[in-house]
Amino acid sequence: MKILVTVKEVAEAEDDFDIDGLDIDERYLEFDLNEWDEYAIEEAVQIKEDGDDVEVVSVTIGPERAEETIRMGLAKGVDRAIRVWDDAFADVGMLDPKTKADVLSAVVEDEQPDLVLTGVQAGDDSFGATGVTLAETIDFEWGAVVNALDLDAGAGVASVHRELEGGIEELTDIELPAVLTIQTGINEPRYASLRGIRQAQSKPLDLHELDDLGLEESDLESPLSRTAMYEPESEGDATVFEGSAEETATELASLLRDVGVVEG
Amino acid sequence: MEFELPSEHRMTREMVREFCDEEIAPIAQEIEEEHRFPAEIFDALADLDMLGVPISEDYGGLGGDQLLYALVTEELGRVSGSIGLSFAAHVSLASKPIELFGTDAQKERWLTPLAEGEYLGSWALTEPSSGSDASDMDTIAERDDDGYVLNGTKQFITNASVAGSILLKAVTDPGAGYDGISTFIVDPENDDGFSVSTEWEKMGLNASPTCEITFDDCWIPEDRLLGSEGEGWKQTKKTLQGGRVSIAALSTGLAQGAFEAAREYATEREQFGQSISKFDAVRDMIVEMDRKIERSRLLTHKAATMYDDGQDVTRISSMAKLDASETSREVAEDAVQVLGGYGYTTDFAPQRFYRDAKLMEIGEGTSEIQRLVLGRELGL
Repeated sequence: MKILVTVKEVAEAEDDFDIDGLDIDERYLEFDLNEWDEYAIEEAVQIKEDGDDVEVVSVTIGPERAEETIRMGLAKGVDRAIRVWDDAFADVGMLDPKTKADVLSAVVEDEQPDLVLTGVQAGDDSFGATGVTLAETIDFEWGAVVNALDLDAGAGVASVHRELEGGIEELTDIELPAVLTIQTGINEPRYASLRGIRQAQSKPLDLHELDDLGLEESDLESPLSRTAMYEPESEGDATVFEGSAEETATELASLLRDVGVVEG
Repeated sequence: MEFELPSEHRMTREMVREFCDEEIAPIAQEIEEEHRFPAEIFDALADLDMLGVPISEDYGGLGGDQLLYALVTEELGRVSGSIGLSFAAHVSLASKPIELFGTDAQKERWLTPLAEGEYLGSWALTEPSSGSDASDMDTIAERDDDGYVLNGTKQFITNASVAGSILLKAVTDPGAGYDGISTFIVDPENDDGFSVSTEWEKMGLNASPTCEITFDDCWIPEDRLLGSEGEGWKQTKKTLQGGRVSIAALSTGLAQGAFEAAREYATEREQFGQSISKFDAVRDMIVEMDRKIERSRLLTHKAATMYDDGQDVTRISSMAKLDASETSREVAEDAVQVLGGYGYTTDFAPQRFYRDAKLMEIGEGTSEIQRLVLGRELGL
């Protein structure tokens, strides 16, 4: 059985930052693995540890800078990694979910995985759509926002809990091959061990350029582009009540009365 | 000249930092106040292969180099001096000598459990009346058929009350001076006549046990002799060269922790209508901290790299230890000052780094002894 995990290195901004053109000034950015992808990797590695003959492959679309982040996945038990990059990506700027899904589908074509795990969303641009778009593109079954997964590899069925709006959970059986988008909290991601980090240095991390995937620059043309970047003005102020529970509860009650939430 | 760390080293530092921030930082003050050795943290460090970083894979270690070990030690020091100290004593003083001087059978029996983190180790040199003049010791090991009988007292022994093995320095030939000292492996659980006589209350580092231990006609079999009789002092000097690199790294970590606390506070705290970091007096203190830390870290990494290259590190390890220990105390003191009244409270970390840093100028050779060593190296 083969599991493909799509991962992304995302930028996280400091509390105070400046905007430089269409992006946050890079001085204020730190790059790390997307939080949701941590859980997707852990889920895949646990399936590997519980099963026989399971290979876990990670794939990312990202520049060379992302390699160390990708290698941390290898240190946690991913068997090999694929990094898709080409100068053309740098020129494009923003990739919309459909474009990303097209690129990833070329990797799926090569790898023929039985199961694809993605994070629910990426912490930076937060489309939350790449996983499902990929499933549609490659004609796999899919389940979004999965927070519990029980895989019967023999029967080729994934029994999942899906987190829906309003605290409702849906229980569904999904036939493989499938794409599941993984929600945080589904497991407890491990720390990489030092031995794992050591072994990760010699695990394969292959670069695939557009040519290698049978793609062309025109495949990266995205209908979406970023036109402006600004910090929204904050409206309304937060009131912080300090003191004992009795005092603060009284203060809150009178505020709720004043603003008309509670009558009387 | 290569200043960039290799990928494995950067990744290890990142992982250890994440672990320290998540798992150790939240309890770092609490374990000091409770005077509690955090066994559960050391179990977790063992699971992550951290307790045998520079020990050979043949004996359960990671097979990493001294530079990797220095990075791990610095990260531990950045959040907890106690955990960093117990860790460094375990690796440099209690484990490394067995790898360097032990037989295969001794390594199998005594090094593997240390490197795998089954238990911590300890090392006993100092005595109640023998500190800087360490070779002038009273603890005696007398031949007795197929073993030795140990008698004496050792002072300020890190980890002794939680250790699975203790490397003991004792006199086997009273007339021979430096050449009359030998090293023995003691099993504190099973050797009769061994006891922990005191666990000290200290100015800081109270989650790392510091003990007085007593040997009262303690018999051990002869296969516990490490190396040959009379080699104990030579081994000690070699051991301390590696140990000093780790204390330099630990000190750099303490300084880094104090610096980060001061920097964060100074950018958030406002007085006279602006953040206090905008005042020259405060800004200059923080800039000085950064400068000193960079210097100490460079010396530490150079010492570790030369150690890995097999060069003589007498001078550079001594210099790194002297410099970094002073940096840690100075930076921690200034960090308390930057935080003002809050810095003096136990709600904030700088006071803890200040207490812990002071020991760095005392343990594994005082600053005065480091200057003696450095003077000798200059032919003075």
